[in-house]
Amino acid sequence: MIDLTRIRHMLRRMDWALFCTVGALMVLGVLFIYSATWRGDGIPMSPFYKKQIVWALIGMALFFLMALTDYHLLGENAWWLYATAMVLLVLVLFLGKEVYGAHRWLSFFGVQVQPSELAKLAVIVALAKYLSRPGRDMESPQTTAAALLIMGLPFILILREPDLGTAAVLLPVVILMLYAVGVPLKTLIFLGVLGLLFLPVGWFGLDQYQKKRILVFLDPTTDPLGAGWNKMQSEIAVGSGGLLGKGWLKGTQNVLGFLPRTVAPNDFIYSVVAEETGFVGSMAVLFLYVFVFAGCFRAALAARDAFGRLLCIGVGVMLYVHVMVNIAMTVGLMPITGLPLPLMSYGGSFMISIMAAMGIVQSVYVRRYRG
Amino acid sequence: MTVRPAIESGAFRIRILLVLMLVLCALLGVMLWKIQVAHGHDYVQDLDRQSVRRIRLPAMRGTIVDRSGAALVENEPSYAVAVYIEELRQPGVNVVDAAEALIRRLGELLQLPVDVTRDDIANHYRKRLPLPFIVWKNLSEETLARWAELAAGIPGADIYWEGLRHYPHGQTASHVLGYVGRASLTGREEEPYHYYLPEWEGKSGIEQSMDDVLRGRAGGKLIRVDVAGYKHADLGGLDPEAGSDLMLTLDLHIQKLAEEALEGHNGAMVVMDPRNGEILAMASAPAFDPNDFVPAISHELWAGLRENPAKPMVNRAVAGNYPPGSIFKPVVAMAALESGKIRPGQRFNCPGYMMLGKARFNCWHKPGHGEIELRKAIEQSCNVYFYDLGLMCGHEPIVHMAYALGLGRKTGVEMSYERAGLVPDDSWKRRTFSDGWRDGDTCNMSIGQGALLVSPLQMAVVASALANGGFVYAPHLVRGVRRNGDEKYRPVQPRLVNDLHWSSDALRTVRGGMFDVVMAPTGTGRKAGVPGIEVAGKTGTAEYGPKGSGLKYGWMIAFAPYENPRYAVAVVVEEAYSGGVTAAPLVSRLLGGIFRPAAGEGGAG
Repeated sequence: MIDLTRIRHMLRRMDWALFCTVGALMVLGVLFIYSATWRGDGIPMSPFYKKQIVWALIGMALFFLMALTDYHLLGENAWWLYATAMVLLVLVLFLGKEVYGAHRWLSFFGVQVQPSELAKLAVIVALAKYLSRPGRDMESPQTTAAALLIMGLPFILILREPDLGTAAVLLPVVILMLYAVGVPLKTLIFLGVLGLLFLPVGWFGLDQYQKKRILVFLDPTTDPLGAGWNKMQSEIAVGSGGLLGKGWLKGTQNVLGFLPRTVAPNDFIYSVVAEETGFVGSMAVLFLYVFVFAGCFRAALAARDAFGRLLCIGVGVMLYVHVMVNIAMTVGLMPITGLPLPLMSYGGSFMISIMAAMGIVQSVYVRRYRG
Repeated sequence: MTVRPAIESGAFRIRILLVLMLVLCALLGVMLWKIQVAHGHDYVQDLDRQSVRRIRLPAMRGTIVDRSGAALVENEPSYAVAVYIEELRQPGVNVVDAAEALIRRLGELLQLPVDVTRDDIANHYRKRLPLPFIVWKNLSEETLARWAELAAGIPGADIYWEGLRHYPHGQTASHVLGYVGRASLTGREEEPYHYYLPEWEGKSGIEQSMDDVLRGRAGGKLIRVDVAGYKHADLGGLDPEAGSDLMLTLDLHIQKLAEEALEGHNGAMVVMDPRNGEILAMASAPAFDPNDFVPAISHELWAGLRENPAKPMVNRAVAGNYPPGSIFKPVVAMAALESGKIRPGQRFNCPGYMMLGKARFNCWHKPGHGEIELRKAIEQSCNVYFYDLGLMCGHEPIVHMAYALGLGRKTGVEMSYERAGLVPDDSWKRRTFSDGWRDGDTCNMSIGQGALLVSPLQMAVVASALANGGFVYAPHLVRGVRRNGDEKYRPVQPRLVNDLHWSSDALRTVRGGMFDVVMAPTGTGRKAGVPGIEVAGKTGTAEYGPKGSGLKYGWMIAFAPYENPRYAVAVVVEEAYSGGVTAAPLVSRLLGGIFRPAAGEGGAG
């Protein structure tokens, strides 16, 4: 059944530069997860980096599977995917494993998965499917309202877990997808004003810990040993990196545990990078990410149809939001939101969903109009 | 199914989007530059401040031995449980709660009662967070074993080791050795160190006077600790330098003899080697046990010591000032002879009293001694003879001789709280009484009364000078100092303060008189005699307290053997009957012990 000639043909059309960049980020991720969990010679390490290699390999397999699969297959099953994600999001609220007071994890045969990761992809696919339907009137408010509804359901469910960071990622994704697809600017501006008006209402909907994080962000000195700790320590880590950094495994903030060991390999992996490789290294990593976004948008521009284009935009924006928010949080520009850094942070669900997303982008690119 | 043209229009918006996103990325890059390069230094400082700790390493205090190497002060290890409250800080946790919980848990594991209160913890947390908080001290071996088995490795708590002073002979030489207490924290010293437990500091005696030598130099260490306070890397530092060990001039055997002799009395006894000023024994009674001060003295015990009217904390040998009475007479005799106004054969008549104008000066022997010469006058301690002697030579030679022998000023011995005593002279009298020196003052001084005040140590120096023929040595207690790492004690050279160039005629007369005091059957100090040993000395009795109270100090100075003396002694006893009755037997007991053939180390000298 497998048509090797076709596969070879598709592989030749893949964006290999983008693939290599993604691969480089994954390798860097493993290296710095190693560093973040390293305690010194002879001290047993947590097996995070080994697990991450396994996740990366699984992600890589999924990437090729998605790249070689026609993305229209996704479009045909968009609503099934969406429905599955929503069911899982509901399930996680009831059956989810409680970690730090939040229900974010579902256990499948011993494997922990985060339904919200699948939901992000499902929302992108569903929105792309919905918005790319021929004859859809972009000027109509109903279209925008429907798109917001598609996004709104998982948004509220994820907010209930609660996982403010992941939920918040969906907002720019839907807005920018609407913008890219041609929704009038005035509609989007109207949405923005509406959102601002509802911000105070939203504040009261936040959990205590979420409010605290925002307050601590506004004034970290209010709780230097508590909620402000991570932010302060992360800033110290980044700042003390200097121009060239301290060298791999030489970072003291994470080795000494000032940067909490529970977060150093995941949400704060970038501060480990920044401390150990300095400004030069952190900028290099940032450039790699820019290359990844650019790759997604390149695929979007080259896409043969609106569905493919919207998929690429959605994935690109999601990646972008993750990267920007994570780094901004690391350097103290944003409250601690708990958003991981794509491709580098430790974590299986996220790695797999990001690699699947990258595979979708490649699938679109491979099936581009010409070239 | 190409819909390509339909979406071509969207390309513009996508490009706008990409540009906007890249601008944001660039802003983030600028931010990174600001934090990492422009302000990087500030963060490096922050980092060092929180992860580098200075630890003060206290130096081991030097030990003290007697002249033959017998231990007088040692260090004994003592173990305490310390909680490092600082290390318990964690996001969202009340540190005091955490410390309290930890202490309670440790208490259960170690089966020790928790005596520290929440306020203690909070107070420590507020005021000296970086210091270890000592919860239990002086752990027993059983507790230590329990610690090793159950509690070792619990974060935030550790065993704190410290050397504690131990005085193996208890009260023996307690005034010489002194005691130690915690050094007070000086802000200057505390500040740069994160961990600093006050060291031991000498509070009296040699411990205090030689504190600089004994204490050594505290070191410091920079260590990088992780967030749990565990040592991560050694960043170097300064090793502590252990204090120097001291060898004292004291002879433990003689010291014990002196203290045994004084037993039951309040008083002091000093034994010196007249050949070099080494103090072989310095006893003061009553005494205290310096072990009571380790690690800290109880309030009751301290109050008891301070309120005791017998003042056991006072070293009477140096801080006790007494009128010398008749033991001053050899000084008067030497002054008179050396002044050239009196010859050794000078005779005076003693009818039992002397009239000076309308004032009557009595001899202690009412019937009188008749016409006697100096040697006999010393033997009999005849007051009238010395009145005449003093009046004939005048008070100035006596004052000069007293000064030359070191009276009236501190000897400079390695003891704090030494008192100078008083040698009155014309200017002193004018200052104090607005009155000139009178003959009556000379008479009083001639028999060691009046305003004259001396310490037992000063009189031991006088006795030494009489023994060695006029050499005034600085009395000293430190015989050698052994620096950390050295094998031998570096000897302290004896210091000759004064060579009085006494004529042999004068010396022969005065020493002869002192010989008769002990050796003649009629001598006033014959009770100081020791069979087989030629002992010379002089007794003295000085009244004190309100007139008619009958309170007397019993004195004796002595040296032995008469030819080539090796021991000079001064002893004073409060509430005595007289020098000859009360003090002389103590000298006999002391010298008997020293010269007893079987007496081991002290005997041969």
